[in-house]
Amino acid sequence: MSVQSITRKLRHRLKESGPHGIVPLLIAFGLFLPGCGLIFDAVELVQPLTRDEMSAICSRGQLRVGISVEPFRPFVFPAVYTDEGVRVTGLDVELIREVADALTTYCGGEKPIVPTLHLTRFRDLFIEMNEGHLDLFVSSVGGNIPGARPVGLWFSIPYFHNGGIGAMIQRPEVAEKVRAQFEKQAGSPDTLAAIQSGLSGLIVAAQRGRTSHLYAEADLKNIRLLLCDSLPAAIEMRAPPIDVVVSTHAILDYVTKHVWPDWRLLTRNDGTPLVLTQESFSIVTVEEHRRLQWFLNNLLYRLEESGRLEHMRRRWLEEDYAPTRRAAMEGLPFEVSKVPEHYDQGQCRFATGR
Amino acid sequence: MKYPVLLFISLSLVFFLAWSSIAWSQAPREEAETTAQHLAVLLNVGRLIVDRNQTLINDPRKGDKGFSPEVFEHEVVNEFIRQTHMDLKHLPSHLPSLAKEVLPLLLQSSREVVADAQLVINQRGIGYKNFIPATFGSQAARKFSNHSHVKIKQTALNPRNLKNTPDAYEETALKRLATQPTSNTSVTDWIDNETTLRALTPIYYSKDCLACHGNPKGILDISGYPREGAQEGDLAGAISIQIPLKSQ
Repeated sequence: MSVQSITRKLRHRLKESGPHGIVPLLIAFGLFLPGCGLIFDAVELVQPLTRDEMSAICSRGQLRVGISVEPFRPFVFPAVYTDEGVRVTGLDVELIREVADALTTYCGGEKPIVPTLHLTRFRDLFIEMNEGHLDLFVSSVGGNIPGARPVGLWFSIPYFHNGGIGAMIQRPEVAEKVRAQFEKQAGSPDTLAAIQSGLSGLIVAAQRGRTSHLYAEADLKNIRLLLCDSLPAAIEMRAPPIDVVVSTHAILDYVTKHVWPDWRLLTRNDGTPLVLTQESFSIVTVEEHRRLQWFLNNLLYRLEESGRLEHMRRRWLEEDYAPTRRAAMEGLPFEVSKVPEHYDQGQCRFATGR
Repeated sequence: MKYPVLLFISLSLVFFLAWSSIAWSQAPREEAETTAQHLAVLLNVGRLIVDRNQTLINDPRKGDKGFSPEVFEHEVVNEFIRQTHMDLKHLPSHLPSLAKEVLPLLLQSSREVVADAQLVINQRGIGYKNFIPATFGSQAARKFSNHSHVKIKQTALNPRNLKNTPDAYEETALKRLATQPTSNTSVTDWIDNETTLRALTPIYYSKDCLACHGNPKGILDISGYPREGAQEGDLAGAISIQIPLKSQ
């Protein structure tokens, strides 16, 4: 087929379709133009097409927040049904409300910024964030543990500190074994050395991907490390029986008092809580969102300064309350993404390559 | 002879016209009352099915409970047949057109509530999930009311959820019901110049309800609300239905 015949056919088609036919043809033609990206770049320079993340949140009227489906009480409680529908609550959820309220003010206050919670598996939060499906996520994530900060993500100043990784046990013999190690150290305490010797040879469970997993991998060399998809999965594990569960101290403190009374916190010889290493929780967003990062840091600083954060921490960690009632009164609805229809708390497997 | 006949015919005509106008105005009222009655039964049946499956829903050892929207609907349809001899899937032709319109809508709304709650219901390792007859009923009533001119609401004299607080009419009717012996009969009234039907169907505490609503009074129950100190058979609240005649 010659160029002339193609031109003739094209002219004939255009005559048939009239002036409206030209537009799709030109678009189709334009798509094949080499170097058309340069044209877009030039247009961007004159008239920026993309907005920064803060303007995007304001115009959307929504703050897309990732939250872990695995319960980390009292930071995130399991979803419950209320008169208003399915709701989730906890310290992290209250903090999300604070962020959304502050964004409403930032955006001019004409329409409220609605936090849209995307409930997803913990491991998927980082992926969702990197793929641009979330503005930020809040899920009791520690940013000061080595290896806890994936590339491309930014961690705010802490909203929860004085936390750390703790341990819980069922059998008193385990506590005695650890205490015996502390007794040997009279005068010069060394928690890491006592823990390393005390837990040696025992089966220790940690949640896969959480900071307790990183800690156990790095510092507890002589244990048999069992990695679980969630904390409830570790609790349900019967064979092999778990000797110790390591996780966030504040979470273990709550669950041993309110959820799993058969388990108790591992303490020092004087009865004070045994914290294996310090950890503080941050809000996470992507590295490029510089304006949002400053906004979050300034907000957290102001909340700390005003005592509001302290009040929130006391409210969720120290007060006696029923989470279901709080969910009904102040919980947030959520969208379920990347969570199987029948959410399962998962399984535990021994860590390989240790 | 001529005049008495004419008088008789005129009087008959007047009587006929007057009777037929009463009959015309009476028919939609009866239809509305019948519809309200069936709606209350259907919402109650949904609550009953949730109650029957409560142990399964609260089982922390099971993940997928199998209490799907389809299973729920099947159980509701069967229970409704048992209670009313009417198949919701093939409603009888003699049923008022309004009932034919709104009963499938309430069934659909109830089914949607169970569908929405699947994530909560199927959580393993979590016992009490607060998916109970009361929360189911509140949401089903709200979903239904959002799509219909007929309004359904669960209400009580001292509701735990403030959105269920009774209005003036409901409060009076609830107080009346509280003093009467246990009965399945609804309180019905036509208000606003006889243009709106208000119907309240009482709900009474059964033995199962007392775990949360019984004694010791004031002590917090599993969901964190103070127990009401109720006895079996006490008035728990009512299903309130509002049908405006003009909008039909």
